[in-house]
Amino acid sequence: MAYDLFLGCVIPARLPFLEASSRKVFEKLGIELHDVDGFSCCPDPTGIEQIDHNTWLALGARNLSLSSNGGIISFCSGCVETLKGVNYCINKDQEVKKEVNKVLKKVKKNYDGSTKVLHFAEVLYENLDKVRENVVKPLSGFRVAVHYGCHYLRPSEIIEWDDPFEPTTIDTIVKALGAETVEYELKLECCGNPVEKSDSELSLMMINNKLQDIQKAEANCVALVCPACYQQFDFNQRELNKQNNTNYDLPIFYLSELAALAFGYEPAELGLNFHRVRPNALFEEVGF
Amino acid sequence: MSVINFEFRNQVLKHNASLSYCYQCSTCSGGCPVALITEGRYNPRKIIEEAILGLQEKLINEQDPNPWLCSTCQTCVELCPQKVELTEIFTLIKNKCFEAGKYPAAFSVQGQAVLENGIAIPYSKAILTRREKLGLPTITTAPVDEIKTILKETNFEKNILKGGK
Repeated sequence: MAYDLFLGCVIPARLPFLEASSRKVFEKLGIELHDVDGFSCCPDPTGIEQIDHNTWLALGARNLSLSSNGGIISFCSGCVETLKGVNYCINKDQEVKKEVNKVLKKVKKNYDGSTKVLHFAEVLYENLDKVRENVVKPLSGFRVAVHYGCHYLRPSEIIEWDDPFEPTTIDTIVKALGAETVEYELKLECCGNPVEKSDSELSLMMINNKLQDIQKAEANCVALVCPACYQQFDFNQRELNKQNNTNYDLPIFYLSELAALAFGYEPAELGLNFHRVRPNALFEEVGF
Repeated sequence: MSVINFEFRNQVLKHNASLSYCYQCSTCSGGCPVALITEGRYNPRKIIEEAILGLQEKLINEQDPNPWLCSTCQTCVELCPQKVELTEIFTLIKNKCFEAGKYPAAFSVQGQAVLENGIAIPYSKAILTRREKLGLPTITTAPVDEIKTILKETNFEKNILKGGK
């Protein structure tokens, strides 16, 4: 099994430790990831698309046109939504496809709409048996609040994966790693990251509500699959504690980090020390 | 006073005909995580109503309600009993705000980064060192000239250089 790897911007250029654990997990599972030269920003569905849909289409189609292997895997829900969304627009409307290719012709490229796009968690779920086989250090004592994030699920017509309001795939993977998952009321709520660009106070309010709810549910960590959500959860706890007298100290894990830990990798080689909220206290608490 | 602009209304409809199926039931606003906590500053039903009526002044100049508060969570799209593609319509409205230079500055920062580097976040020296320490490969990103050619062709370059509000 081999795929082209689409890294995007946030993970490789800001949170490379998330890339490290993800690559390790795929290597362990025997799924080959090819690095492709020349990808641009996906572009960001909550950024560039919101200011210029046609530019979003053109850059997205250019990226998709560069894949020559069995399809693209991305570690980022934003990139996946963009690439699946561009495919959707291009394949739904021949006129759109013609217009996009008119632009791509200027750089001697063409996109036919056929590149398959997968989120890394989709691939983990489809290879659940292999995931189970590789667990050497089950995550006993981890009480995980799963945060799916919006773009992993919706719009369901474009994403075509899991259920938009009753998702189960990530919970299933987390349980396969030997952890327990914890239900909480605001599980499907947006983390608030996209509105940070227009109203940072509102953005903080949204993440505060989620963290409060997760704390109430007595989870001892969070699992997620999107770098924007990751930053929102991990980067803001200290600021919120300062502002509101809260005591958030909740380690935020990428799904790949949990998998890598269960596969026997050491926290240091995964770069867990780069997290703002360090997981050391949790490891001690559960004897990991 | 708001004036109906039929041309504007037709532009939205031409871009996304699902707009005309809205019967203003407010399911979108009831399910919207932002509407729930912004005390009227953000209300997807109202933006759709203004689009149906072609209230260009309200939507683009006054931005009331503020379309930039949409978190793009797509919950409204999923819930709408009439299958109105709300997020796509909001995107069109925001695109028009962008053309008019009325958009939050943070979008401009990201857009200029893509224009200059092909990617939204350029690789800093510190990150390159960190990547090396983590045993990660060197990434060859898109040729900047090629991206610039595309961004010129779509008028993005011209619009982004005008800057935001």
